[in-house]
Amino acid sequence: MPNEIHVPSRREAIRAQVQSGGGLAAVFPYHPPRALLRAHGLLPVEVWGPPGRSSSRGDAHLQPYTCSLVRAGLSFLLEGGLDQARVVLVPHGCDSLQGLGSVLLDFVKPAPPVLTCYLPRGDRALDRAFLADELRELDARLAAALGTRPDEAALLAAVEREERADQALGELLEGRARVGLGEEAFYRLVRSREYLPAEDFAALAGRALAAPAASARPARTPLVVSGLVPEPMALLSVLEAAGATVTGDDLACSGRRRYRPTQGPEPFARMSEGMLSGPPDSTRGASVEARLQHLRQLARAAGARGVVFLTLKFCEPELYYLPQLREGLAQDGVRALSLEVDLAEALPAPLVTRLEAFVETLR
Amino acid sequence: MSSLGALRFHASVSLLGRAALRLDRLRTEHKLARMKSAGPHLGPPLMTSGWLKELISRHYLTGRYVRGVRKVAWVTSGAPVEHLKALGYYLMYPENHGAVCGIRRWGERQCLAAEDAGYSRDLCSYARTDFGTVLSGQTPVGRLPPPDLLVCCNNICQTVLYWYQVLAHHFQVPLVLIDTPFLYTEARPHMLAFVRKQIDAAVEVAERTAGRSLAPARLEEVMRLSHEAIGLWLKIMQTGRNRPAPITAFDEFIHMAPIVEMRGEESTVAYYRALLAELEERTRRGVGALQAERKRLLWDNLPIWYRLRPLSESLAARGVALVASTYTNAWGELVERIDPTRPLDSMAEVYLHPILNRGTGHKLATMARMLKEYQADGVLLHSDRSCKPYSVGQMDQQRRLAGELGAPALLLDADHNDPRAYSEEQAENRLQAFLEVLGA
Amino acid sequence: MTLAALGIDVGSTATKLVGVTAAGDIAWRRLAPTAPRIEAQAEALLAEARAQPGGERAPTVATGYGRKLVASATRALTEITCHARGVYRRTGRAGTLVDIGGQDSKVILIGAQGQVLHFVMNDKCAAGTGRFLEVTAGRLQLPVAEMGDMARAATAEVPISSTCTVFAESEIVSLLARGTPVEHVVRGLHRALVHRVTSLVRSLGPRPPYFLSGGVAHNAAVAAFLGEALGAPVERAEEPQLMGAYGAALSALEP
Repeated sequence: MPNEIHVPSRREAIRAQVQSGGGLAAVFPYHPPRALLRAHGLLPVEVWGPPGRSSSRGDAHLQPYTCSLVRAGLSFLLEGGLDQARVVLVPHGCDSLQGLGSVLLDFVKPAPPVLTCYLPRGDRALDRAFLADELRELDARLAAALGTRPDEAALLAAVEREERADQALGELLEGRARVGLGEEAFYRLVRSREYLPAEDFAALAGRALAAPAASARPARTPLVVSGLVPEPMALLSVLEAAGATVTGDDLACSGRRRYRPTQGPEPFARMSEGMLSGPPDSTRGASVEARLQHLRQLARAAGARGVVFLTLKFCEPELYYLPQLREGLAQDGVRALSLEVDLAEALPAPLVTRLEAFVETLR
Repeated sequence: MSSLGALRFHASVSLLGRAALRLDRLRTEHKLARMKSAGPHLGPPLMTSGWLKELISRHYLTGRYVRGVRKVAWVTSGAPVEHLKALGYYLMYPENHGAVCGIRRWGERQCLAAEDAGYSRDLCSYARTDFGTVLSGQTPVGRLPPPDLLVCCNNICQTVLYWYQVLAHHFQVPLVLIDTPFLYTEARPHMLAFVRKQIDAAVEVAERTAGRSLAPARLEEVMRLSHEAIGLWLKIMQTGRNRPAPITAFDEFIHMAPIVEMRGEESTVAYYRALLAELEERTRRGVGALQAERKRLLWDNLPIWYRLRPLSESLAARGVALVASTYTNAWGELVERIDPTRPLDSMAEVYLHPILNRGTGHKLATMARMLKEYQADGVLLHSDRSCKPYSVGQMDQQRRLAGELGAPALLLDADHNDPRAYSEEQAENRLQAFLEVLGA
Repeated sequence: MTLAALGIDVGSTATKLVGVTAAGDIAWRRLAPTAPRIEAQAEALLAEARAQPGGERAPTVATGYGRKLVASATRALTEITCHARGVYRRTGRAGTLVDIGGQDSKVILIGAQGQVLHFVMNDKCAAGTGRFLEVTAGRLQLPVAEMGDMARAATAEVPISSTCTVFAESEIVSLLARGTPVEHVVRGLHRALVHRVTSLVRSLGPRPPYFLSGGVAHNAAVAAFLGEALGAPVERAEEPQLMGAYGAALSALEP
């Protein structure tokens, strides 16, 4: 039965890792080098906020016009939320994350070492070569911080484990209709990719897909969801209650991380190629056209006539593209709704109204 | 090139335009010569201002008629342009144009035009000003030439990348990205190699679009002129170390236009030589930019373009001179990294190192150094809602400045081009309290 | 007249109830300030409606921000759908509906069959809503109901550059301290509010004719200034505050 699938929480995953003698890496969005961290014995646990908490401690370091994801993350760190981590990794994904990484390194200086990694904004051969070098440097810094030196075989094994999990994520998103979970439960499962060991996630996704759906779900209004992250998660239940279902995923935390499998003998080249192989993403410098084509294709495949963009206030990589994406989608008769959320806030009533009204217009 | 376009260009720009602008400059110079002071509490006006006006007007006049005559590239303020100059491109700087709109109080109207098209108010006000200009077709400078090529370098922010992607989609022209990894600490060899390879790629695209090849001798020449202008610009700013300072950051905000958008040109070098001579002469005669300079401050971040004049007057009335700014300094401080004999290698080196591509700790160190060099009493940190990479870090920088560095620092909330994000009352009040602390 | 359906609109400021005949005409109406105990108030008002002829069996649709708290409603629909329906029934035309309520403002594009084509709402900031006028009225010690007439009568206006309610308050204080006449400030405030709403309309692409509903539609200055800004007249819905409840009642008539 589908409801027998237990999705371990972040806390449970962390406890299991610590009990098995492994370390933790606290990792900020968007494209973490998971295989490299795992090869160094660390479980990457992603920090998307966390949502619904006060960002007041972070507000002492970051102006109110930086996005709530970064302010909440810094608050969490200052409250000791990341104390268990052996390293804190802040990949360079946007100006706000750049600021966070820099302020951590230069001023806050938390106990766990802070590492950074620059994500190139293209996917030319020279970008892949650069990222491979950047990952080699990160490997050296991890070795210096932890004393670990994974050999090539260990690195390749880690790459392959992550690739299997990436494939499982893809199958899960494409097999949405077959999985008998509600919207929120389904996304709890999808988002466990943010903290579960790759092999555990792949197994869990496999079980969810294999479980027979309890009953055919009633006909629902299909939607594509884009933007950063489906927070607050209760939005998904609102969507479900309004009679809609997410059948196309272009979220930064899930759909945009459907990396393609790679081949070859060199682990860093494979990691780099994989990380740059996901669907078009503004944090990797994608063009408006590429993003538009991708959304069109998702909408077509899902039979969706609406796209919901979940953006965080001040999130430039998302906000710049919206008007042209909206216009391009409208030419195909696909409507767009953008909802702006602040991670620190619970579900605001006006957002519920907007989402419900949007679904009403699609019926 | 269409012969009609060429004819129009030569008639409007080369013959009539240039003559009219020269006449206007002579008139301005005549007027300036008779002015005792640039404002109630300011010193005498800079005589070279007339020349500056001529340069800027000529730049936009050329832009107005350049379509079809020369290839046009729109570029970010920190982008490598020497190869484009050498290939004969006309360069349009949307950021500088944004500042012109800001100074002329067009910022809000342009931002609104962009917001009407669905662009969020939370986006950079330069970008909104640019989108507003593109969408409405209106600008205080007449008309902007549409780009044949977009060149974006993210060494100042990531914002420019999304901004230029929007432009690329709108104009349907190629976008060249020069991706400069952010330097949390020092530049690593693989980063330099990455930028160097991209400069090669950028040259190729620029050659293809221009339909001709880059002549190495011409590139070296442009690089030499660029290098010379940057050196002069640095010396100009350094005259601010004198007491009284013959120039303030408010003057620099205006006089910086050529170093950003016209470097690599003979006329820019000539103009900065004249400005430097004027400032040296002022220094010799003990003439200050203020009538009575009592306190000296350092400015951090972009200017508040639409409040330049009132803010300058209000500080001058209290005897406070802004003797330097990290912002204008950014176009001078890298002079030693330029080697005109190795143009492409040194471009990679220079364009990787702007202050905005380096960590928040590096900016604090720069401010600490400038405080000493310019004997400043404190720092005004413009917390600019529209420029996150420049502003994030300021809260810690302020604490360090006021703490162990012993330099009082004020965080002034504003936005460089959107007056709606600025509260005059609140700012004036905070500024006054800060100056009281400073004893001004 | 026999009531065939009921619509209740629980707004942030007022709760509105409308009963319609089988032909869809308003036959009964109530308007009360929204009480803190929304459920109890809604049920009390509904009980009154259900005591009318036909009311007992009339299906009920709830809308407005408290729509989910109306336990005895048959169905809940958002105010976007309901406002569009109510106004379309009155005007019979496609166009752009601007609804300025107490807590939010929305712009709804109505299609030729009365369907919602698209909509936008104000962001979190209160600057484009009735709340903006309420707050500033408080600061000026004026009754909100009189502000519109004062704004229209004023012979001059000062620009209020801050669209942020908090900044605007401090701007007002300093304007008054400089001796600016209150009427000029009030006219400037209306202009600022309209400015904000106009950009919402523009973001959908201007599509006249324009209709205005919601409580702020009672304010004649807002309609007039909005018309000036959009370059086309703005028609104020009759009983503008009831349009949401009316649309809800019309929806309740449908099977």
